[in-house]
Amino acid sequence: MNLGALFSSVNMASTLIPEWILLLGIVAIIIVPNLGKATFRLPVPGKAWRIPYFIGGKRFAFTSDPRLPSAIAAFTLFASFITALLSQMGEIGVTESCVAIRDGVARAGPEWCSDGSMILQIDAFSRLMGMIFTAALLLAVIANWDRLPATPHHRIALKTQRDEVVESRRLHRLLNNRRQVDFALLVLMVALGMSTVALSANLFMLFVGLELASMASYVLVSFNKETQIGPEAGVKYFIVGSVASAIGLYGISMLYIWNGDLSISSLRSSWADGPNGMATIGLGMMLVAFGFKVSAVPFHFATPDAYSGASGPVAGVLATASKAMGFVALMRVLIGITLADDGSEWTILIGVIAAITMTWGNLAALGSRNPKRMLAYSSVAHAGYILAGIAAIGALGPGEGSELIATAIIFHLAVLVTFKLGAFLVIALLECEGRGHELEHYHGLARRDPLIAISMMIFMLALAGVPPLAGFLSKLMMVSGIISSTVGDVAGSSLSETMDSLSWVFWLAILIFINSAISLFYYLRICVVMFYDETDRNLRLSRAPMIRIAIMFCTMGAIVFGFGILADVLASAAHDAALALFG
Amino acid sequence: MGEHSKSEWNLLLPVGLMIFFPVIRHLLEFDAMESAFLIVAVPLVIFPAILILGQLSKGEDWWKNQLKEGGIVALAGLAITLSLTVWLIIEFYMGNEKLSQFEDDAGVLSQGVIFDWIQFEIFDGATLLGTSTLSFGLWIDSVSLVVLFVAAFLCFLICWFAIGYMNTDPINEDRNHRFFAEFVLFSMGMFGMVLADSFLWLFIFWEIMGLCSYLLIGFYWEKPSAAAAAKKAFLTTRVGDVFLMVGLFMLYDLYHSLEFAVIFGDPTLGGAVHGVDLQWPLFFMFIGCVGKSAQFPLHVWLPDAMEGPTPVSALIHAATMVNAGLYLVARMFPLFSEPHFEGDLSDLAMLIAWIGGITACMAAFIAFVANDIKRVLAYSTMSQLAYIFTGLGAACWFANEGYHHLATVAFGASLFHLFNHAMAKGMLFMASGSVIHEMHHAHDHAHGHDDGDHHDFDPQDMRNMGGLASKMPVTSIAMMLGSMSIIGIPLIGGFWSKEGIVGQAWNVYAHGGEMILFPAILVLATAGMTGFYMSRMWFMTFAGKPKSDVVEHVHEDTQWIKTPLVVLSIVTAFSGFILACGNFVHWLAEPYHYEPFGELLAHPIDAILHELEHAFLPEENLLKIVGWTAILLSAGLGPFIAARMHGGRLADGEEATPLTNWLISYSGSVGHTDVGDLATGGFATALHNRLYIDDAYEWVISRTIMPLATICAWIDKNWVDGAIKGIESGSQSTSTWLRQFTTGRASDYLLMATVGMLVIVGILWGVA
Repeated sequence: MNLGALFSSVNMASTLIPEWILLLGIVAIIIVPNLGKATFRLPVPGKAWRIPYFIGGKRFAFTSDPRLPSAIAAFTLFASFITALLSQMGEIGVTESCVAIRDGVARAGPEWCSDGSMILQIDAFSRLMGMIFTAALLLAVIANWDRLPATPHHRIALKTQRDEVVESRRLHRLLNNRRQVDFALLVLMVALGMSTVALSANLFMLFVGLELASMASYVLVSFNKETQIGPEAGVKYFIVGSVASAIGLYGISMLYIWNGDLSISSLRSSWADGPNGMATIGLGMMLVAFGFKVSAVPFHFATPDAYSGASGPVAGVLATASKAMGFVALMRVLIGITLADDGSEWTILIGVIAAITMTWGNLAALGSRNPKRMLAYSSVAHAGYILAGIAAIGALGPGEGSELIATAIIFHLAVLVTFKLGAFLVIALLECEGRGHELEHYHGLARRDPLIAISMMIFMLALAGVPPLAGFLSKLMMVSGIISSTVGDVAGSSLSETMDSLSWVFWLAILIFINSAISLFYYLRICVVMFYDETDRNLRLSRAPMIRIAIMFCTMGAIVFGFGILADVLASAAHDAALALFG
Repeated sequence: MGEHSKSEWNLLLPVGLMIFFPVIRHLLEFDAMESAFLIVAVPLVIFPAILILGQLSKGEDWWKNQLKEGGIVALAGLAITLSLTVWLIIEFYMGNEKLSQFEDDAGVLSQGVIFDWIQFEIFDGATLLGTSTLSFGLWIDSVSLVVLFVAAFLCFLICWFAIGYMNTDPINEDRNHRFFAEFVLFSMGMFGMVLADSFLWLFIFWEIMGLCSYLLIGFYWEKPSAAAAAKKAFLTTRVGDVFLMVGLFMLYDLYHSLEFAVIFGDPTLGGAVHGVDLQWPLFFMFIGCVGKSAQFPLHVWLPDAMEGPTPVSALIHAATMVNAGLYLVARMFPLFSEPHFEGDLSDLAMLIAWIGGITACMAAFIAFVANDIKRVLAYSTMSQLAYIFTGLGAACWFANEGYHHLATVAFGASLFHLFNHAMAKGMLFMASGSVIHEMHHAHDHAHGHDDGDHHDFDPQDMRNMGGLASKMPVTSIAMMLGSMSIIGIPLIGGFWSKEGIVGQAWNVYAHGGEMILFPAILVLATAGMTGFYMSRMWFMTFAGKPKSDVVEHVHEDTQWIKTPLVVLSIVTAFSGFILACGNFVHWLAEPYHYEPFGELLAHPIDAILHELEHAFLPEENLLKIVGWTAILLSAGLGPFIAARMHGGRLADGEEATPLTNWLISYSGSVGHTDVGDLATGGFATALHNRLYIDDAYEWVISRTIMPLATICAWIDKNWVDGAIKGIESGSQSTSTWLRQFTTGRASDYLLMATVGMLVIVGILWGVA
């Protein structure tokens, strides 16, 4: 591969603008915080001639600011988001393009999209997913802007320190910028990995991107290394995750043995020729790897531990962006490869996993007293809903119904960023005072901070799928997609005949209903304790302006994507993405 | 306790400015019809505004003293609705060019669809028959205009009164905004019901009114009797409403629509609907009317509803909401007059007349012995509404039997009585409110502010009053004119309409409806009884010597209370005569065949003479006899007996105004009869106990529904709740069990994941 071609080709540059920006951000975040007054003393005896070379030494004032890395990361992610949005709208770059390797040289341009050697594919689906990833990470970075405490249970009492000097000194002691650099760097690597997964048209690229994102996220989970639970959670997450990845890689290798080519289009055409045992088992093994990423039962066990060990924003990223990445991979592989074959074996398998996952997640969440674990289990349940949608797509085959369900899945992944991440950010706000891991810490929150409590209530109701919030719309699209496409073709006149001829997918939709009803209990419990229970702690919440801003963004998102113009815009974008996914 | 309100005319300036609202609409080139929806929309906006503002600025000076805890806001909103209503009436009367495009033969203006509400598809088996839309629109004809005007006018005046009445009582402090908000919501319901263009919307607004009635009766919720009265009113009208709903379902089943345009456009639906089919739906709907208008046997809630604040009694339970039932019957009238249904619905019409006759007489009897001034008026309300039902029954009978002209006369007379009664009764209640208010204050004044305990003293009991004529001149005149209108003293207010109703009831008999004989006799007798109990109330309150020391301290309140009384006195005194001479009765039934006031303006003397001759010397002998009997009984015998029993001269040195002095002198000059034995007799005891009807209901309910309710409660508690609790504890223990798998050891997780993988691979191995 010719590195020069990578940078010199105009096509390549215009195709991958958001990813270039991420790469530049990573470079900048390595270099900029290290700029200082480093000098090299010329070896001239008796003279103190020094030549400054700026890397290292005593830092400049602006480079030693612990907020700088977050600023760089936030700017990078924002620029990446905006460029992705603009290129999707056709304002800059290209809307549809591909990158292919031909003769050892990477080439970019729309003309390569029909080529077998394509490795990256830029279309509405990958752009929208990339925007979801960057948006979630951007919110997490904003939330971490000025408060990444040394320990998650360490309280930074900004509000009592009115003196600016004292305040900034405290900040420096608690948050040195190296630590911030590490965090921001890892976040940007996660972003780059996720973008690669969204773009990949080749299982190998997909795996590389997946691992890039996963590795960085394992470190993010254990980032609070001073605590007991942080590293433990990270290590557990890493062990289970690496085993799952190994199994997935094994599956990929089986596919390679079977086909000799890992590009998805080639795999699809081979699959269409006829079933093959090795290919099926290879897909099954990949299902394990992706099942771990989306935390499907029985690969979800590390999820509650990881979420409760990680800081709030990181857990939020794991529950939204990381999970969305898993689903992107799942959809790329399962839908992309096997959809031509209507009613494949894996559809019932996924249906069963979906049913178990959503029920398990909801029931386990019911008894969790730790809101973070509760949200982790609820994220397991949400994975079950989405898996049910994927199973329905598999069972129904290509068509309008499947497109509708895929639209619902993509829409759900997008709006999940608003309310799931928002809920974790509220937890992050409580973590600023060293609390948030017990239900009791939420008692009387409405009296302590009404705005935050109302935001949390909106997140909870959106998670439960209460109209008119965003969570309702996504769930409605999913269920109505499944039901309308299964019931639509039922011809029986009597009820029993109708029931007999219903597709089994219909019952998944019913199960989604039942599980939504169960989930209301534990979502509303948070609301109840916030609004009705007394607390002995009457202090105001930490000031933490950046977290509050991020929470307000999420609140607005949960509302405006629920109904109205923006919901239509997002839904039509999701529909375009679904169409692109189906090719 | 409490200070008398000041005049504060300046506060009314913003209210006065609201009159320019229609002018602005007009300048913006909207016509009255296009603005009519605002009559409903304005109160709908003001209701939450008062509630929220009141909650936020409770106790602040500008809210309390400048806006009167929302009273001024409500009054301004009602001023807008009243001016819009007047504008609408003027345009309707002028029949101007722009409006005429809405007209059809029936003289109805309807503004098509304002918004679509619910759309659904009608299937027959699997085939789609079509879509049906529930939409909201306006339906304006002479009937709705009259009721709308009554409602808007009285809402405005009674709100004015309420500002003076409510804001001076310290128990109401900081919660008057609730009163005014509910008041405005009620007015929204009433306007909406009158303007609705389908039975569905009529029913929705009908229920909004029911809700407001419940809330306002229970305004003093801390008083157990008020809370019980609110519940009683709500539940009793609910019985009627359920029947009304059943009736509406049946009607929908017949017509596949509840819109007036569909049902009245072609009542036969192209021959598909027969008169016999309509009997039961209309019967069930009539039961709803009986409940709402407090007719026998669902009348029990109205006397108890007097627990609410007096402005509420004046507005809801005398002048407007109780007219809803009448309005609905009047709305059904086109079905009765459909030629194809001739004879099919006459039994139902007879039933309406019977219910009216029975209620009229029964309520008048109970009013004989009531001592609470508001309860007398409540029973009088029932009795007068019953008159209107009798009149409507007669009208429907005539219409259904094909006597078109007589039907018109009876229908017009009934609605005319609705108008007269609403004006007079609204005023009577306000006057009684004025008396109660002053008695209350005077008692506080006389017995000191500190005890605050007046359980032993009832300011509403007429046995504590007497001789108030000299203390409260305006109130006594208003009360006199109102009573005269209700009694039917010739030439004043209700005389014109009541004469018409009684006459037409007998006319039914003359045209072959023998069944009407009983209610016809009852309403004729009731005319005399009305004369007695209304006079009794006036004499007990205003004439004679004071019966308690409290009366000494009574003096009349400020303009807030007096202005509405004066306005309504003038209306009551003259409107009946003017409208009767202006051919109002015929215009009501057939607005496009008669031009109101045309004759009166062109040849005033002829028109007045013609009307007088028609009233006092009708051509038919039957009407002549009935008319004069009614006049003699109501204007002569009833007041005479009342004056002998309860009248008397004022105490020495007290001087009433010349307008009432003649009446007091008359009552003092007729001598005195003591009827002590009669007042304690068996019949009187039965009357005191409201003829045991309430007790009978309670007996039946305690033996049928209460045991059933106990069983249901037991089942709910033990079985239903048990099942729910079982599910809950089951889920919790399942949750605990499931979470045990999350052991916290990575090796366990790996084991689990490996098992999962093996299962997946194994299954795929099997199928592949």
